[in-house]
Amino acid sequence: MPERVNKDMSGAVAALDYDAELMLRVKDGDGASFGVLLDKHRLPVVHFLQRMVQNHAVAEELAQEVFLRVYRSRSTYEPTAKFTTWLFRIATHLALNSLRDGKNERAQERLDDDTSEMPVRQVSDRKPSVEQALVYQARLDEVRRAVAGLPDKQRAAVLMHKYEEMEYSQIAKVLSCSESAVKSLLFRAYETLRARLAHMA
Amino acid sequence: MHCPMEGRESADILLAYCAQKLDARSTAILEEHIQICPACRQFADDQKAVWKALDTWEADPVSADFNRRLYARIEKEVSVWDLILRPFRPLVARQGLPIAAAAAVVIMAGVLLDRPSAIEPGPLPDTSATVEVAPDQAEPTLQEMETMRDLNRLMRPENADSKI
Repeated sequence: MPERVNKDMSGAVAALDYDAELMLRVKDGDGASFGVLLDKHRLPVVHFLQRMVQNHAVAEELAQEVFLRVYRSRSTYEPTAKFTTWLFRIATHLALNSLRDGKNERAQERLDDDTSEMPVRQVSDRKPSVEQALVYQARLDEVRRAVAGLPDKQRAAVLMHKYEEMEYSQIAKVLSCSESAVKSLLFRAYETLRARLAHMA
Repeated sequence: MHCPMEGRESADILLAYCAQKLDARSTAILEEHIQICPACRQFADDQKAVWKALDTWEADPVSADFNRRLYARIEKEVSVWDLILRPFRPLVARQGLPIAAAAAVVIMAGVLLDRPSAIEPGPLPDTSATVEVAPDQAEPTLQEMETMRDLNRLMRPENADSKI
């Protein structure tokens, strides 16, 4: 095992350092390690951006920019934080900029929009009835509107907390704020979501 | 126990409980409290409903050509640098670092002089000072060239024999 990874670390911590180790190999010129990092983190980053900007095409464009910046920064990379913290800091920064610049003003995509850009969704063999599909769509739209109605930073905090299962400390590093600020963001965000979505129980 | 709903700072324990992130002992204590506290019970029920609703939001699958498009963008960036630095490769091979450093200075000067300025430039200051680039400042440039060459080999194995 390379010297930069402590042999005595627990599995979870060693797994965390493995991403940083891969990135250090990219810094040393190992392009294949960049491919490993890309394959591992592509889905979480794209999904986070999809839920942030609620536009599939914009989300993928932003995700491409995230990994492009990761690659460009390889020569100066230092593992001062978890790799995912750095990665999501870049993603959040780009998403917040995009939302501020109004790129999200393009029509929010609905599940049944006919667009050739979107990849084909896998359909299960057990086809839902028309009524079930309509109910599902209505619920999904309500969830998306509720999240879209959150202020940008609250939205980012909720998405990282709920879907990426990040701890307060990591979210704080991503958003460059204190843990108490993160708790406050989440408290207000979930308060709003409870008001809008609790009836869906 | 103090009711978590009494203060915002302690309400996050309810969030942790609803997300099933509390340890077993804390969970047991909180569940005993929830049974007798209508406010906490309502909070927990509502928060679980929110969690369930958020769970229904599945993200769209990523495009099959995502990686290909990304690598194409990376290759394009690498190619631009390759194009700029290629004329200077023979000089670097023969004359070494001083020429590479001078080439980097020439390129930077060209980029800076070509930039449009918002205001009319004033008269040039009268100075005979020359700018010298130390050899260690040329190192990052050469290292960058090496890494780009390696990546270029990954992208296009047929160019594996190309040399700086």
